[in-house]
Amino acid sequence: MKRKSGILMATLLAGSLLVSACSSGGGDTGKAAEGGADTGKQPEMKLRILSANVGGKTPDEMKQFEAEIKRLTGIDVTIEKPASDYDQKVLTVLGSGEKYDLIELSDLGKLDQFVGQGAVTDLSDFVKGSSTLSDPKVIPTAEWDQLKDKDGKIHAVFTKFQGGTMPIVRKDWLDKLHLQEPKTLDEYYQVLKAFKEQDPDGNGKNDTYGLSTSGLYDIQGFMSAAGLKYRYVMKDGKRTIPYASDEAIPMYEWFAKLVKEGIMDPNFVTNDTGKMRNLFLTDRVGMVTYWDAWVGMFNNLRKEQDPNTAFQAEAIASAAGPDGKILMRRGDPDFWIVPQNAPHVEAAEKFLEFWNSKDGITLGSLGIKDVDYTESGGQYTLTAEGKEHNMDHGVPFWYNENVKSPFDKLPGVEAAQELVKQNATLELALPGWPDAEKIVQNYALKAMSGEMPAADAVKKMREELKSANLIDE
Amino acid sequence: MRAIRKYGVLYAMMLPVVIYFIIYGYYPLARGLQISFQDYKLMGERPYIGFANYAAVWHDPFFWKALGNTVVIGGGILVFGFVAPLVIALSLNEVMTAWFKKTAQMLLYIPHLLSWVVIGGMWIFLLSPDTGIVNLVLHKVAGIEPIHFLAESTWARWVMILVSTWKDMGYSCILFLAAIVSINPSLYEAARMDGATRWQLVRFVTLPQLKGTMKVIILLNTLGVLRIFDQVFVLRNPSTSSHVDVLMMYTFQKGIMEMQVGVGAAASFFVLVFTLILTLAVRTLTRFDEVE
Repeated sequence: MKRKSGILMATLLAGSLLVSACSSGGGDTGKAAEGGADTGKQPEMKLRILSANVGGKTPDEMKQFEAEIKRLTGIDVTIEKPASDYDQKVLTVLGSGEKYDLIELSDLGKLDQFVGQGAVTDLSDFVKGSSTLSDPKVIPTAEWDQLKDKDGKIHAVFTKFQGGTMPIVRKDWLDKLHLQEPKTLDEYYQVLKAFKEQDPDGNGKNDTYGLSTSGLYDIQGFMSAAGLKYRYVMKDGKRTIPYASDEAIPMYEWFAKLVKEGIMDPNFVTNDTGKMRNLFLTDRVGMVTYWDAWVGMFNNLRKEQDPNTAFQAEAIASAAGPDGKILMRRGDPDFWIVPQNAPHVEAAEKFLEFWNSKDGITLGSLGIKDVDYTESGGQYTLTAEGKEHNMDHGVPFWYNENVKSPFDKLPGVEAAQELVKQNATLELALPGWPDAEKIVQNYALKAMSGEMPAADAVKKMREELKSANLIDE
Repeated sequence: MRAIRKYGVLYAMMLPVVIYFIIYGYYPLARGLQISFQDYKLMGERPYIGFANYAAVWHDPFFWKALGNTVVIGGGILVFGFVAPLVIALSLNEVMTAWFKKTAQMLLYIPHLLSWVVIGGMWIFLLSPDTGIVNLVLHKVAGIEPIHFLAESTWARWVMILVSTWKDMGYSCILFLAAIVSINPSLYEAARMDGATRWQLVRFVTLPQLKGTMKVIILLNTLGVLRIFDQVFVLRNPSTSSHVDVLMMYTFQKGIMEMQVGVGAAASFFVLVFTLILTLAVRTLTRFDEVE
């Protein structure tokens, strides 16, 4: 009797552990199923979103953000914003069959892969049929080409206007040292050398660098001087990588010279973008290469710390090539996809139209009414929280020409975006680029840091790319 | 049947653990094996394609490069990760001051408790060519020009091996020290009566008595040698990746970054098979099952 009751107790204990483990993981599925069952009974729309940038900055603000969407659209939204490892989360979600209605992405290569894996809904008919999204004033017609697959089908909708990267210089240092904005590679060298040697921060110490990057991210501003574009370029139907061509050799030698003379931050190989930004913000380096929006952020951050600061970041164009052409990098766009297994496609489509309308753009930029901003008689005022959030809740900039920002852009951003509009183009990432990139980066960084002669590095780079069948010539 | 009835309570208590291993160990293993034979897509049809994924891995030069890196880095960690804690444990055993011994043990063990993210960030800072303390000391003491340890391929593998050894030697050191403490004191007494010196005590008493612990540590380290990932993920960069990317990095790259889940699963089964072969070889070489 004693033994039997013992077995019973242990079985109950094991069972209860399993039940509790299962119930904690299964909550969401239950909810989703519930949502699906409700649709026939009630017209209320539900939406589950996986977001990388869009939404509130804190869990509390996210709740308010969801409530604001409900107020504006009537859609009952749940937004999940993972704190880290977003790409892995997306892959896990899609691979495990977990159901989301919208997923935010920012990599065209990934979009191609997802389309190839049958994971994304074709939105061509929806976009063409939508009076909002098909309006060229809302999204310029040519921009949609970015989101089309090889058959011309549209599988995504933009979340915002995406800018580009460019050299960002300390304008106040240029002025202090009586230097002009550089236009050619030689002028760039002179400016960077002066930043290193002429104590631009005025602290009496030799503690400044001319240039810092985060690995090969993003040297396009300088490679432009030789007319070289990053990633693949198709020439007569053949795959080429300009960074692996002989024309790249003098450019890598130029960087090696900067490293040898101590002009370039020696940590550029191991820097992440955060470290690079910090060097720029703390007067350690006079030039970095980064996003257009960050020109304004740099200026704003320093202004917040010290209203009397002389700090002035300014975007400048890439070094002009031999034919006077300027090459700049435009970033992959941020966009929404509707997964193939999305349970609420209709709600997702309604949300996509809303997100590109005035109300959606106001929410994605300024934030939540009466939390991030107040509005009275058409006059907008940012609250303290709104100022802290930099008018960015996933949409710092947008395409829709009908929607004007009630506030000026942060200082320097307008000029930076003008450079992007004039000179920046998308990069071409063909299948196999992840493998090719490893080879390119490996030898390019070795050549730039002076670990290997540039000519040898390019030769080996090309040999490896060819033997792995990653380039045609 | 009688045994089941007799020990029923114990069996029932084991049930959660068994179920845990089935769900989190064996089911993913079986599912991974299934995926490795499929043209695995995130959604829709997932047809079986035989050994095509295994063939893709087998003919991929990056896989063999990764295997080469794994053998060099893993082998280095195996050797240094065995010798360093043994030497320290033997040295600490000679120390008579209790507080010093305890403090040293604690300091050695602390890095083992920290995550690789913390350790990696710390060493990236320490090895920096301009502000890192290692280069500052080398320059002050020997006048050596700054070395970019993490960016130069000749140094990158050594950094992986030595930082891994440094991080985990406290753990193995404690195992050795525990084994040293349990050695019968009469053996030392007898050796001393025979006129053994301090070194002879170590050479002819301590080391032979540690044989069993050594076997366990070698086997445990061997089991993990092909699965090194965290330190490489944290400390690698594009300049050194071709010299330090290991098999698990290859699997991660294929399966997660490039979404070739079938190829990634096939690569992971190669790792499993290699580990099995390596472990069996080590068991045989060390005569693991022989009773002393």
